[in-house]
Amino acid sequence: MKRLEGVRMAGRAITGHRLRSTLTIVGIVIGIATVIAFASFGASVQSDVIGEFQGTSASEIYIVSGGDFFSGSGPPGSDGGFTSPIITTYDVEQIDAIDGTRAVIPRGSVPISSLTFRNETVAPRSLTATTAAAFEGSISEGAAFESGEREIVLNEEAASQFQTNVSVGNTVEITRESTTTFTVVGITSGPRGGVSGFGPPSPEFYVPVDPHYRTVQESPTLGIDQRAYSTVTVVADAKQITQVKDAIEQYINTDSDAIRLAGDNGEVTVQSTEDVIGGIQSVLQDITRLITGIGVLALIVGAFGIANIMLVSVTERTKEIGIMKSVGATNREIIGLFLAESVLLGSAGAVIGIPVGLGVGYAGALYAEVGFTLPYGWVLIAISMGITIGIVAGLYPAWRAARVDPIEALRYE
Amino acid sequence: MEQAPDGQKVVTVTGLRKEYELGGTVTALDGVDLSLLKGSYTAVMGPSGSGKSTLLNLIGGLDTPTEGSVRINGTDIGEISERDRAHIRGTEIGFIFQTFNLMPRLTAQENVALPLVFAEWSRSKRTERAKTLLNSVGLGDRLDHMPKELSGGQRQRVAIARALAPDPALVLADEPTGNVDTDTGDEIMSVFDDAHERGNTILLVTHERRIAERADRIVHLEDGVRVRTETLGGDGK
Repeated sequence: MKRLEGVRMAGRAITGHRLRSTLTIVGIVIGIATVIAFASFGASVQSDVIGEFQGTSASEIYIVSGGDFFSGSGPPGSDGGFTSPIITTYDVEQIDAIDGTRAVIPRGSVPISSLTFRNETVAPRSLTATTAAAFEGSISEGAAFESGEREIVLNEEAASQFQTNVSVGNTVEITRESTTTFTVVGITSGPRGGVSGFGPPSPEFYVPVDPHYRTVQESPTLGIDQRAYSTVTVVADAKQITQVKDAIEQYINTDSDAIRLAGDNGEVTVQSTEDVIGGIQSVLQDITRLITGIGVLALIVGAFGIANIMLVSVTERTKEIGIMKSVGATNREIIGLFLAESVLLGSAGAVIGIPVGLGVGYAGALYAEVGFTLPYGWVLIAISMGITIGIVAGLYPAWRAARVDPIEALRYE
Repeated sequence: MEQAPDGQKVVTVTGLRKEYELGGTVTALDGVDLSLLKGSYTAVMGPSGSGKSTLLNLIGGLDTPTEGSVRINGTDIGEISERDRAHIRGTEIGFIFQTFNLMPRLTAQENVALPLVFAEWSRSKRTERAKTLLNSVGLGDRLDHMPKELSGGQRQRVAIARALAPDPALVLADEPTGNVDTDTGDEIMSVFDDAHERGNTILLVTHERRIAERADRIVHLEDGVRVRTETLGGDGK
């Protein structure tokens, strides 16, 4: 029998039991769609976050107090609950003196009660105090603020959250203990050290550390009160990033105010962009693997569904098997017919499951506001999974079919 | 007739013995010899359990003998592989069963063409052959009908057309009129007569004397043993 004829006959057998075949295929569709949906969503998030880091944060080193990038503080610049302001101005100066350091950008939170623009009031929990170096290359309108001035820089999300977009030259009123007027001098697309993870960036307002940041610690080295920060971003010479990171680590872990202020239970971590990307990749891969594993379980269940339905099919079609044998079908051809049928079921599950999975993955990417990345590798894996499941699930039923005694089969009612 | 040269013998059965294990050894055939010449028309008669169907299944290569041999055009089908036996079933032998045994999801034309699928005929040749055969059995207007849309007699005629599709050396029919009324049975038998006239070799199992008398000779089986052979005059009708 020619192969195409076998496939055609298998197709006829499948369409002969439409509902049953459809339900069998649905099992595979769910498995494949789950795998593809999470693989594509995971790939999308990964490439979005990593793209953001690589685009804006190359050659950066993050010094975070109170835990690493993932365990405690959240992304640099976020007002995580576990960070503590222990990196003093003395530390910042010492780090700045390390060879290969291009800029040291401290960040701290300035708690406020409200911010008003043209009678429209919003209530961010805090402003971000930083230095002008944070905005290098990211100012889309105006300029960075001047230290010591009542000037403010907004990110694009903050500028567009009011009914009228905030522009350079406008003023905003900020209420802390009293109300102070700040002049908007710049709009930024995203400052250094301000990676917000995946998803849309939240509105941020930036003011100069001097004079607005008032959190202080007594420097153990100098014995005087100094401004102290929870995160510091170091921009290093790209060629010397490893050496700079090592030197910072060396300093932080031995002579720094931060490590002494951290005490026995505290922690200060130093991570390069690469470390952070590696960490994000590892976390995302773990999550993707876990959920993909669930999809694979669904696939295994689907495979049992195919095997079960094929066994039923062999029993139901015992007489047909006898007829085919009596008109010249070999055992191998009978095996081929039933295998073709189960492979068609598995492949149909893959062919339908892949677009469904991609659709769900795309919807997830839209919801999380990350760019969609098509996981080509997973699409190929899914197709081969569909075929493999068909073969594995169909082997035993096909073998049973081939062993049918034609005389018994022809008598079968 | 059985002293004819080997070249004219389509089937040579020698010392055929078949035992089954059914809670004890049951001997279905016990040393049967039989030869079928090319173009002959033979009926096998005997009471229920005499071994008629077993003989047909062994000659058709659906089963293998416990002892003895079946040669189809010189090939001992007990000595060849299952694959080769399947090939012989598909090309040298045409089966007709009491219960028609048509594929329920295939049309009349597709059923007739089925042996040709396994014999790797091209689609167009299969279709053409099936049409010709269905026309010859008077079902030219039922090509696309499913078996359930056909009467018992029509189904059996489709089955006969299917048996003739590969132009086999031998047509084996097991009680072909067993499931139809007398008139329909006569119609079916006239199709066999036509096939015989066209030169087909036919071996027919029946328990109806009236049907068996259409053959050239009648072989009588009892308890698995060939007890008597009647040679009928003329064309046996």
